[in-house]
Amino acid sequence: MREQVISILSELCPGVDFEHETALIDDGLVDSLDIVSIVSELMDTFEVEISVEDLQPENFNSVDAIVKLIQAAQG
Amino acid sequence: MAFTSLTFVLLVLATVTLYYLLPRRFQWLLLLAASMVFYLSGGGRTVIWLLAVAAVTWGCGLALQRLNDQRKGADKARQNQLKAAKKRVAALGAVLCFGLLYAMKYWNFTLELLPTPVAARLPRWDFLMPLGLSFFTFQAVGYVVDVYRGKAAQNNPVKYLLFVSFFPQMIQGPIGRYDALAPQLLAPKELSWQNLQYGIQLAMWGYFKKLVIADRAAVLVDTVIRDNCPYGGAVIAVGIFFYCVQLYCDFSGGIDIARGVAQMLGITMAENFRRPLFATSLADYWRRWHISLGQWMRDYLFYPLSLSKPFGRLGKWARRHIGGLGGKIFATSLATFIIYLVIGVWHGSSLKYIVYGLWNGTIITSSLLLERRFQSWKDALHIDGGSLGWRIVMTVRTCFLVFLGRYLTRAPRLLTAGSLLVATFTRPVFSQLTDGTLLSLGLTGGDFLLLGLAAAVLVTVEFYQERGGHVRETLARQRPLVQWLAIVVPLLVIVAFGVFRTGYISSAFIYGQF
Repeated sequence: MREQVISILSELCPGVDFEHETALIDDGLVDSLDIVSIVSELMDTFEVEISVEDLQPENFNSVDAIVKLIQAAQG
Repeated sequence: MAFTSLTFVLLVLATVTLYYLLPRRFQWLLLLAASMVFYLSGGGRTVIWLLAVAAVTWGCGLALQRLNDQRKGADKARQNQLKAAKKRVAALGAVLCFGLLYAMKYWNFTLELLPTPVAARLPRWDFLMPLGLSFFTFQAVGYVVDVYRGKAAQNNPVKYLLFVSFFPQMIQGPIGRYDALAPQLLAPKELSWQNLQYGIQLAMWGYFKKLVIADRAAVLVDTVIRDNCPYGGAVIAVGIFFYCVQLYCDFSGGIDIARGVAQMLGITMAENFRRPLFATSLADYWRRWHISLGQWMRDYLFYPLSLSKPFGRLGKWARRHIGGLGGKIFATSLATFIIYLVIGVWHGSSLKYIVYGLWNGTIITSSLLLERRFQSWKDALHIDGGSLGWRIVMTVRTCFLVFLGRYLTRAPRLLTAGSLLVATFTRPVFSQLTDGTLLSLGLTGGDFLLLGLAAAVLVTVEFYQERGGHVRETLARQRPLVQWLAIVVPLLVIVAFGVFRTGYISSAFIYGQF
């Protein structure tokens, strides 16, 4: 799943080191427009529901946080 | 009560003094009392609308809190029922508050847009507009949505009222978040000399921007930018340029005063400006200008809209039928366009603000859709996107786009904005820049010189901050004499060139009318 997430992120936001970055939102590497594209893509790929309530910076600051969010959404 | 009035300065002095003298448990009550004094002196009987918005949103918050509590441990079916109930409560709060805002601010404008026979049958609602209506309504509705999303509600209505009515934010924001602002308002505070010093410095910086720069620039702007403007396009362009300076110094100056006063009380308010002069795109400009409104729009409108089911379906349709990058970001771009349209309308009830929203929305959406095309052009021309030269080009281009948009917000009406724009590019009459016309617009040569010097100070400070510098922290490391001079010299400048100047009086804050 981790590789898939990195692949999605890299396609939508090229040039960011997703493997190592841990402050994607806090450092402004990913903005609100990217977030919406990322969430749409994640929902399609993993067939999960990510709601507006989940759009907290801590859920998107790193690949690991995003993976955790998807796993939680998968139940 | 204007921030620039002596009464306000006295209110701040009395509040700050009493705040640190009173027993800690009464401090928040003092803030509420000061806020009510401030509101009643400026808004009078319209305080009833402030209280109504506070009562509605507090009640909704409480109801949502109960529903949130009931959801814990409930089975799936019950959870869905409760979620539907939560949606109804949140929608009720939003409809009531925005309904009031609509009735006060947009109803009469709606009548103007309707065909005359229809409009003639409908009543006009000539309410006295409550002070800071847009700001406290957005802040209160934001609270309701936060509680809907699971954050804790405030049980005490009086404490909640302080969050909605805290006086420094009442005229023009910033639009605060409950979980960031309310705990600070309610917490007991010890006197901190650093907070006091930093707060005074920030407020004085705000007064400098407002009284020395904005109000002086306003004289020329008011003379030039009006219906039946008799001047050539070059003078009109100077007028709009001065308006850009005026607007930034007026709005950001007012915010600095508000944040400075709050800091004297040990309260950190939301940041509202991050040097928009250095923005490299229009989208970047809006991330740096009126940040608290942009964040409100993002969190409470853009995200819910973009992630809603209709937009999800639209996104899938676009990916299938349009394909490529355009298909991928079609739905997001549409949501972005809507947000900028709403931001335009937020500024006021006039066609010019709708066109202003369309102007920003169109440019930002187009640049999203054309981003990869631009990148390929840059690659073909071997342009280094990270170079200083390219950054300067992008900054100048952004300033020009902002400058063009400001014709819409400053002209008294849409048609005038159009004629001023046309005159700028087709009938410049450059000779008016050198034949003494500029000195007949209400400002003396001394005023121009002072404005130039003050603007140079402003740009230098902002450039330093843009490079990561912290002005007040740097000053605090200097010798005590330098620290004193950093307070006394600007104070003398404000008094000499801001308070006691002749020929014109301090004007109201522009964003106060929104």
